[in-house]
Amino acid sequence: MTPLHHIGDFFRDLVLLVPLWAARTIFVFVLLVVFIWVLRLSPERVSPCEIEERNWTNNLKLWAAIAIGLQIIIYLIL
Amino acid sequence: MQSGLTTLDYIIVAIYLIGTVGLGLAIGWKFKTGKDFFLAGRTLPWWAIGMSLVASDIGGTDIIGVGGAAYAHGLAVANFEWIGCVPAMIIAAFVFVPIFWRMGIYTIPEFMERRFNVGVRTALGLCWLIFMACNVGIMLYASARMLHSLTGFSEAACIWATAGMVGVYTIGGGLKAVVYTDVIQCSVMIGGCLLVLGIGLYDLGGIDGLREQLAALGERTENHTSLIVPADAKSPFPWPAILFGLAFILSPAYWIGNQAIMQRSLGAKSQFHAQAAFVWGAMLKILIPVIIAVPGLIAIAKFPDLATPDAAFPTLAAQLLPTGIRGLFLAAFIAALMSSVDSYLNASATVATKDFYLRFVNREADDNRILVIGRTVTLVLMIWGIGFAFFIQQAGENTGIYTIFQTLMSFFQGPALAMILTGFFWKRANGIGALSGFICGIICAVGLFILHNWHQSFGIEPLFRIEEPFLYFSIWSFVVALIVIIVVSRLTPPEPAEKTAFLKLNVEVSSNNV
Repeated sequence: MTPLHHIGDFFRDLVLLVPLWAARTIFVFVLLVVFIWVLRLSPERVSPCEIEERNWTNNLKLWAAIAIGLQIIIYLIL
Repeated sequence: MQSGLTTLDYIIVAIYLIGTVGLGLAIGWKFKTGKDFFLAGRTLPWWAIGMSLVASDIGGTDIIGVGGAAYAHGLAVANFEWIGCVPAMIIAAFVFVPIFWRMGIYTIPEFMERRFNVGVRTALGLCWLIFMACNVGIMLYASARMLHSLTGFSEAACIWATAGMVGVYTIGGGLKAVVYTDVIQCSVMIGGCLLVLGIGLYDLGGIDGLREQLAALGERTENHTSLIVPADAKSPFPWPAILFGLAFILSPAYWIGNQAIMQRSLGAKSQFHAQAAFVWGAMLKILIPVIIAVPGLIAIAKFPDLATPDAAFPTLAAQLLPTGIRGLFLAAFIAALMSSVDSYLNASATVATKDFYLRFVNREADDNRILVIGRTVTLVLMIWGIGFAFFIQQAGENTGIYTIFQTLMSFFQGPALAMILTGFFWKRANGIGALSGFICGIICAVGLFILHNWHQSFGIEPLFRIEEPFLYFSIWSFVVALIVIIVVSRLTPPEPAEKTAFLKLNVEVSSNNV
C-alpha cells in the first residue's frame, strides 16, 4: 500500500457512506442549480439584440430551461 | 447482420453515400478564403451547428459501444449523454460561447495566447493536434472493424473507403461541408436508430414488456434501468465517477475546450446563432440515450446470451429489421462514423494551420494561400490518419497502443479545463502558472495511468477498483493542475491588464449580432 492507496481509500470510504438516495439528491440538486441559474439570466443574454427579433421562440432561456427541466425529471425517475 | 444484407440494402447505402459526398463537394467549390474553409465564412445557422454538434459527438463506434455498454451494465451509460452533456452545453451557451465568438478566434489554443502567452497556446495546440490526428486514425480503424463485421468487406478496404469519402468532401468543403453533411448524417443516424428502437419495443410489447423481460433475468439486470449506480457496484459507471469525473470535469472540458466542438460555434453567423446551436444540441442530446442505449436493453431482453455486448445493436438490427431498412441502419452507422472522422480531421487541420503554420512559419500569408495550406494540411492529416489506422491494425490491440490513445483525452482534458476556468474567472492567473499547472496535471494523469495499468511491475495493488478509471484520472489531474496554477500564479507577476480585457465582453453580450 502506497500513500496514494491510502488517499484513494479515504475518499472511497467517504463516498460509500453516502446512501444511494442521497447520491440521487445530489444529482438532482446540481441540475436544479443550473435550472435556477438559467431562469435568472437577463433577457439580453438569451435573445437576439434587435428588439424586433425578440419573441418567445427566440428566447433561449425557455429552451434551456426545458432541456434542464427534462433532465431533472429523468434523474428523479430513473 | 453480415449475411442479412441484400442488394436493396446496399443500394440505399450507396444513395446515402453519393448524396453526402456530392453535397460536401458542391458546398466547397466556391471557397476563396481561409475563413471560408476554417469557419465557413461565419455563415452557419444554429440548427445546422446544433445537429452537427450531436453528430460529431456520436461516432459509429459509440452506437455499437453505447448499445453494448447498456447491454452489459445497463442504463447508467446514458449518463454520458445526459448529465455528461446537457448542463455543460447550456452553461457553455451562455458563458463561454459568447466570448469566444466575439473574440473572433479560430481555435481554443488561440484564446490561450490572448489570455496567457504563446507557450500555453503551443502546449495546448500540440496536445490537441496529437490527440485529434491520432484519433482520426483510431476512429478509422475502429469503424473499419465494425464495418467489416457488419458487411464482410476487408478492414483495409473499409479504412480506404471511409477515408476516401470523408477526405474528399472535407478537403473540398472545409467546416461548411462538415457541418451540412453532419445535418444529413444526424438525421439518418437518428432515423435509423429510432427504427431499431420502435420495432424492438413493439416486438417486446412496449415498455412494460421490456420491464417484464428485464425483471425475468433476475440479479443480472438488477441495476439495468437505474441511472445512478452504487459507488461499490461492479460497473465502470459508479455515481462518484459520473458526478465528479464526468459531470464536473470531462463534460465541461469537452463542450467548452474541445476544438472540434467549439469550432462549429465560431463559424456561426451571429453570436445568437452560436448560443442557440448549443441549446438546440442540448435538446437533441436528451433523445440520444433513448435511441442508442435503450436498444441495448431490448437486446439483453431478447438475446441474453450474446458472445459479446458489442454484438447487441447489430444483432438487434439484423433480427428485427426488414430488407431495405437494414440498409438504413447501416447507413446510420456509416453516417455516425463519417461525422466524427470529418470533424476531427477538419479541427486538427485548423489547429495545425492556425496555431503552428500561420503562427510560426508564415504570419503574412494571404487568404488564398491560407485556403491552399488548409486543404493541403487536411490532405496530409488524412494520409497520416490512414497510416495510423494501419499501424494500429498491424501492432494489434494487445500492445496497449489502442488503450493509451483511447485514454489520451482524459490525460489533458482536466488540466485544459483548469486553464480555461482560471483564465475566465481569475484575473490573477498568469501564463507561467497556467503552463506549469497544465504540465503538472498531465504528468499526474499519465503517472496514475502507468501506476494503475502496470501496478504489478511496481509490486503494488491497482490504484483504482474499476477497470477503466479514466474518469478518476481526469478528476485528479484537474485538481493538481488547479492547485499548481493558483500557487505559481500567486508567486509570479500578474499578466498585463489588456490580457484580461476580454472579460468585459461578458457584460456586453447584449449586443448579439455583431
